[in-house]
Amino acid sequence: MTRCSDRMTRRTFLARAAATSTVAASAASALPLASCAESPPPSPNRSRVVIIRHDALAADGQGPAPKRVRELLDEAARALAGDAKAADAWARWFKPEDRLAVKVNCLGLPTKPAVALGLAAAVGAIGLPPERVTLWDRTSRELRAAGYTLKGTGDGVRCFGTDALSSRPGGGYSADVYTSGATGSLISRIVLDECTALASAAILKDHNLAGITGVMKNFYGAIHNPNKYHDDGCDPFIADACAQKPIRDRLRLVLSDATRPQYHGGPAPRRQWQWPYGGLILSTDPVAADRVGCEILERKRAAVGMKPFEAEKRPARHIASGEARGLGTAKLERIEVVSIGRVWLDVG
Amino acid sequence: MNTEPSTTRREFLRAAGAGACALCAARVLAEDVAGSGVTDGAHPQAAVRDAMWFERLPDKAVRCTLCPRECVVAEVERGYCGVRENQGGDYKTLVYGNLCSINIDPIEKKPLYHYLPRTTALSVATAGCNMECKFCQNWRISQYRPEQVESLLIPPENLVRIARTRAAPTMAFTYSEPVVFYEYMHDAAAAGRARGVGSVMISNGYIREPALRQLCKHLTGVKVDLKAFTEKFYTQQCAAHLKPVLEALEVLTDIGIHTEVVVLLIPTLNDSPAETAQMAKWLVSHMGRDVPLHFSRFHPTYRVKNLPPTPIATLDRARKIAMDAGLRYVYVGNVAFHEGSNTYCPKCGKVVIKRVGYNTDASGLRDGGCASCGQKIPGVWTREQALAFKPKPAKGPKTSPAPADAASS
Repeated sequence: MTRCSDRMTRRTFLARAAATSTVAASAASALPLASCAESPPPSPNRSRVVIIRHDALAADGQGPAPKRVRELLDEAARALAGDAKAADAWARWFKPEDRLAVKVNCLGLPTKPAVALGLAAAVGAIGLPPERVTLWDRTSRELRAAGYTLKGTGDGVRCFGTDALSSRPGGGYSADVYTSGATGSLISRIVLDECTALASAAILKDHNLAGITGVMKNFYGAIHNPNKYHDDGCDPFIADACAQKPIRDRLRLVLSDATRPQYHGGPAPRRQWQWPYGGLILSTDPVAADRVGCEILERKRAAVGMKPFEAEKRPARHIASGEARGLGTAKLERIEVVSIGRVWLDVG
Repeated sequence: MNTEPSTTRREFLRAAGAGACALCAARVLAEDVAGSGVTDGAHPQAAVRDAMWFERLPDKAVRCTLCPRECVVAEVERGYCGVRENQGGDYKTLVYGNLCSINIDPIEKKPLYHYLPRTTALSVATAGCNMECKFCQNWRISQYRPEQVESLLIPPENLVRIARTRAAPTMAFTYSEPVVFYEYMHDAAAAGRARGVGSVMISNGYIREPALRQLCKHLTGVKVDLKAFTEKFYTQQCAAHLKPVLEALEVLTDIGIHTEVVVLLIPTLNDSPAETAQMAKWLVSHMGRDVPLHFSRFHPTYRVKNLPPTPIATLDRARKIAMDAGLRYVYVGNVAFHEGSNTYCPKCGKVVIKRVGYNTDASGLRDGGCASCGQKIPGVWTREQALAFKPKPAKGPKTSPAPADAASS
């Protein structure tokens, strides 16, 4: 396994130095990276989360250009993998022959299309053609409403909902029930039949029951019955959804769109509680990514005088449940946060 | 008691013929629906109506007050049932008339054994349920969302018209969980009453008292699935709680509507003699000795495929325990040929109603009583009796006022 100090660029070094000042991470610790060749379990020691921030990401409206997102994601990927070249970094998680399904979140405040398209472009560096990348969510209607351009065949990145896989209502899901924890679900056939690798491209936002919506809860859109997963603050159901075997086995990378996160009033969009954080959160550890995302929202809420999620009786307990299911690392002190650009905890 | 099939060859052939007729009825029904101008595959948007039971909360959230779950639902989200959605701070049902199942069934199939025997019920359902029973026989609709099932849009007045055309005296809201399509059931039942068609709800009983009392102004009968008599079973097998169901049964008794109770006995999970005895004792003390109780046979399905079908001996044992506890009308269900399917006179012991499959012989019933000795048999035996039902006024402090946002459509 590569050590981050072996291949560090000057920029990465500086970024990491900034990060260690806030979380006291050890630069010499081993990287808990999944790879396309093998998917080892999360490290018992540390998980790495990279946050890259840039003014270009904070643009309102449609957001940044996918090309700019790609450049920034390349940088984040290098920092995450500890590689000098972006292609080397992406090759740790994906192979050219993979079929990559990027799960976006279109419910309420959506993942910006530019972010998902930027990821699709970035993985092209390893020779994974855009035709082998699918952006998807539950329904094509929701994707279209969120600003995505639907595409089933031909050149370019594909984009469609689970419902597009069958002319029969409900036909886009598995025939069999998959069980994880207490609840059983049918799984999207996009996960089962249309991909060999999975990425979660979520949106960082407040959730009225679970505290936050992040990369784990994004997989509520991969099951046919997310309504059965909202009791008890969505816990442990968010972890259960992410731990569904077909999802867990294929999940290689998580990306959280923190370009303009929402710290209150979610999951529906509320412009008054969104702010230009200008960030992208990249990790191989969905639990750590959500833990870091939650910390960003908590800090922002504190900065504007709002109560923490705990005080509002909606703590993000599912993050600890994610760790309990072996999905990743929940404790912030065991997460190595690599901050590129503005320091990640500067939420002003 | 002899549990061997006692059906004659003639009876068996008659029962088989009834099944064939049911298939014919299904085909004719499709023609009815097509002829009524109903659009196949109707867009769910056409079935969106204001929900009747909810409270508004800050930040455009709502609290559903229809069932005991009382889901707090943020804008763009749905309740646990999957068929109610917060749209801009307004709570909507997505399944008003959006029917995924429509059939003409014998009323005995519900099962309702003391309600208009030998008649049929126009039986309908939408997607969705407010429980998640791991042994659900109809999970392909109850555990789906409305956009995931094929549906027909049939407004209440059309449903009544179909029932009348098919000479069905009853509409049955059944198969999935009618509580979740409350608004449609409520309006269809009201429309049916006005045109001489009764309505029965085949339910898990997971509904709050105010909504139930409002609904019973229009219903003519209810069947409740009492899944078990332990909280453990309800939480682990159904993602629900026992107490609200028992409260609903008490409310139904208070209202005075004809109610029958079904218990699906699942090996090792809810079939212990002690549990059955406790349940029977509760039913006697809270609903009376005359409430019909059905012990149904489990068959492996959905997420409980590791258990065998319920042994007939277990059903017999449960029936004996319940009768020993004082219940007078206890049945065995989901078993094709069984003496426990018959209604016996509690006074003289004669067969009042004989049932073989869905073939019913009610010649032992005369004027609502035993043809042999005249003993009155509780039930709804005539259409007039069904349509004349009026709920008793609520008594005591248990009755909650209707929520501020409740409004009849």
